[in-house]
Amino acid sequence: MTSFRLSRGGLIDRASTLGFSFDGKQYRGHAGDTLASALLANGVQLMGRSFKYHRPRGVISAGGAEPNALVELREGGRREANTRATVVELYDGLTARSQNRWPSLDFDVGAINSLGSSVFVAGFYYKTFMWPKSFWEKVYEPIIRRAAGLGTASREADPDKYERAYAHCELLVIGSGPTGLMAALTAARAGERVILADEGSRHGGSLLFEREEIDGRDGLEWADGVTAELASMPNVTLMPRTTVFGWYDGNIFGAVERVNDHVAVPPPYEPRQRYWRFIAKRAVLAAGAEERPIAFGGNDVPGVMLASAMRTYANRYAVVPGKAVVVFTNNDSGYRTARDMMAHGVRVEAIVDSRPASSADTGGARVLDGRTIADVKGRKNVVAVTLADGERIDCDTVAMTGGWSPIVNLLCHRGAKPHWDESIAAFLPPEDPACAFVAGGSAAGKMLLSECLADGAARGAPDGAARMVPSCRDEAFAITPFWWVKESKGKAFVDFQNDATADDLLLAAREGYGHIEHAKRYTTTGMATDQ
Amino acid sequence: MLIKCPHCGTRPVEEYTFLGDATPQRPASSDPATMDQWFDYVYLRDNPKGRFHEFAHHAGGCRSWLVVTRDTQTHEVLSVVTARDFARNRTGAGA
Repeated sequence: MTSFRLSRGGLIDRASTLGFSFDGKQYRGHAGDTLASALLANGVQLMGRSFKYHRPRGVISAGGAEPNALVELREGGRREANTRATVVELYDGLTARSQNRWPSLDFDVGAINSLGSSVFVAGFYYKTFMWPKSFWEKVYEPIIRRAAGLGTASREADPDKYERAYAHCELLVIGSGPTGLMAALTAARAGERVILADEGSRHGGSLLFEREEIDGRDGLEWADGVTAELASMPNVTLMPRTTVFGWYDGNIFGAVERVNDHVAVPPPYEPRQRYWRFIAKRAVLAAGAEERPIAFGGNDVPGVMLASAMRTYANRYAVVPGKAVVVFTNNDSGYRTARDMMAHGVRVEAIVDSRPASSADTGGARVLDGRTIADVKGRKNVVAVTLADGERIDCDTVAMTGGWSPIVNLLCHRGAKPHWDESIAAFLPPEDPACAFVAGGSAAGKMLLSECLADGAARGAPDGAARMVPSCRDEAFAITPFWWVKESKGKAFVDFQNDATADDLLLAAREGYGHIEHAKRYTTTGMATDQ
Repeated sequence: MLIKCPHCGTRPVEEYTFLGDATPQRPASSDPATMDQWFDYVYLRDNPKGRFHEFAHHAGGCRSWLVVTRDTQTHEVLSVVTARDFARNRTGAGA
């Protein structure tokens, strides 16, 4: 048992110990871990190097949008580059290697790029490698490709099998958090054929890591009860480990089911992955919302992570990444992380809240209202933070939250545009009542659990009426937009995976590329796989 | 995309093979004087935004020739008839 692993709690099986290796070094984790949570439990925070500056990076999220902790998984023909450690389920004998570093992750020569960072600004390639023309293909591009980059593909043939399959249903539910479970349950009880797809290994969504109370019970217990009822119904197909990635004409959805990605070698006659096409009469997007970072100096130092990710590691995986936390927030959900960490016995040094005042439940933590973190001290781990007014707070981890963005992407696949909502400072999905595909719950901007449960029930019901909505305890939500700490001296990353900073965006604006589409092209912000 | 074949019912687009625009009509005469009409028929095609008729062969099903009318902007399938019916309706309408 390491000091980073809590002695009780979490959805891990402490009785089963799994051995795995990262960069050739042996570690141990438990069934129920992801590669990221197992590494954190072993005290490994440094998991990758950044794309351009080769800066040391650790995990920032605990889910599918991870920009930093990208690793090469498995060996030989089964080697897979750029897998996210946050979603790789741990199995016995797993091997993983870090990427984009030489000679080693701990000592990376490419980090010299950081020293020359004043020349590697936005548009650097366009400004520098202009002539002679013939040099671009033969000299510049190969050098840039070697210096910047991700993992390398295997040169051996993939020995595994892959399948394709079709499924039809009256209701497809994408995501199985509170909203998705309610939608599926309501439709299933009305006798409809339902498919419930979730990218995780277990249904429950946010209930797997948030401490909630539904129907007078623990939230996860409620989720397990609903999942069991759905599993017992012949008209319901539960599809865990299934990511829905596309919405096409005729309400057809493309999805990939990772049938055997969570084992070293698929059992005989079984595929590794299955490509699905769901033909759905109606569909509900219940993919939830994603937490946003705040741009401040050194917000990429290993040990700085999203507030919800820190909660997830503590509550779901029983891992606390540090002993002394500072929370930086512009909304109420940061307080939740502070309370949860204190419940796990972790010291919360301060909650730094950019808002002048808030009514959130502090749980007894010291709150610094109207203050901001300007810079993080430390390179491969956090040593302290300095506030914009100069105060220094010693700590070893920082939890940041810039609010929540509903995951609207799928609903925009056929041309409809999202719209901005001031009250939660986020883009909401397009709304078309005639459309057979609608968003529900936090994917539709509902920030309270009770709203999500009711919205799920209404979206799932064939007649749109919410019934049998369970009662629950709500966590208040309020946000005042705050994105960027101007006083920061260090690099304040906006796009972690492509190493684009707030300064790059300012430069783009100064040079006449202010329009969002121009700024995106010029700085590469938002063009990585985590977009 | 789903297309409702008049013989087989609703089937995925992969079962169909498309030949292209169903609007041009073959000139009745092979007289060299009608060369311009032939040129139009063989080479010239419109690329409309909106309603569009196209030939589809239901190769993965009943193997009959159909004409699918579709909105090129929204991909909505407006009607599916057999090529024979489409031709009859057109001559019947005096075109």
